[in-house]
Amino acid sequence: MGDRVVTPYEGSGHHSWDDAAAIEAPLRLHHTSVSPAWVDYNGHMSESCYLLVFGDNADAFFRFIGIDEDYRAAGHSLYTVETHLHHRREVAEGEPLAVSLQLLDHDHKRVHIFHEMRHGESGVLLATAEQMLVHVDIQAGRSADLPTLLAERLDAIQHAHAALPRPDVVGRPMGIERH
Amino acid sequence: MSVPFAAYRSAVRAEWLDYNGHMNDSSYGIVMSEANELLFVELGLSADYRASTGASLYTVESHIRYLAECSLDHTLNATTMVVAAGHKKVHLYTELFRDDHRLAATGEFLYVHVDAALGSSVPMPSEQQARVQDLASSHAGLPRPGHLGLGVGSSRQRSGSV
Repeated sequence: MGDRVVTPYEGSGHHSWDDAAAIEAPLRLHHTSVSPAWVDYNGHMSESCYLLVFGDNADAFFRFIGIDEDYRAAGHSLYTVETHLHHRREVAEGEPLAVSLQLLDHDHKRVHIFHEMRHGESGVLLATAEQMLVHVDIQAGRSADLPTLLAERLDAIQHAHAALPRPDVVGRPMGIERH
Repeated sequence: MSVPFAAYRSAVRAEWLDYNGHMNDSSYGIVMSEANELLFVELGLSADYRASTGASLYTVESHIRYLAECSLDHTLNATTMVVAAGHKKVHLYTELFRDDHRLAATGEFLYVHVDAALGSSVPMPSEQQARVQDLASSHAGLPRPGHLGLGVGSSRQRSGSV
């Protein structure tokens, strides 16, 4: 780790939205590989770094819909309010990662998303993350309605993702099952 | 009187911050893992245990609720309680507080005891199982927050997932 957390998309601005373009279902915006800085004593990606990778995928999604440095500087952002991770498999240093994102639902200020992290070659599922995000007025420190432009883009993504199956872990509480 | 485990205290570190000077989402997970690791030391399930046995607790699920921003101005304290435990699983609930007493985050964590050489889950040794059960019993009298054991978004009492 360096002086602070840096995402690979910092300073890269936002995606130029094209109303006519087909929207992938799910979105596949983030590919990376397991950095030497992320591995633990046994050469596998440490548990806390899964969340870092999902954060980078969320940043790619933000830039896809139009939220970048300029958007935040103008006073609004999407904040994570909840994250629920499921760890499935270990992954070794240098292995490729492919992260997808499904828009589960959204309303006038909340965005509910689901990430899958897979091995970039074998496609084996490594981890999932379900997240609830809220659009905020940074200065006021409270939630605020999404601007029409972003709401329309989310509507379009929602439409494209409507046919995707709802992952079975979504909304499921954590617990120890008894046999 | 039962109290949660409360050994963890750390100033916010520069490496936990992101571009805006606040703690990054992923850093909340790191801090609560560090806090829970102190509890695993007490339970005989820490890095020393792993080094001598080749077995350790793997995180299989974590559910974090982000409640307040943290910056270099803050020192953090954490409390942890055992929600439930089985022969090879431990379910913990962690609260992270800033030194102004503001609750910064809560976390639920499900760990499974894995033997790395076998590559599968195995029961914890009886001594560790007993320690975990003792602590679970002593925490049984603690208040259970309403959000404990709920899925993402389910505290919002709305139809649909948002």
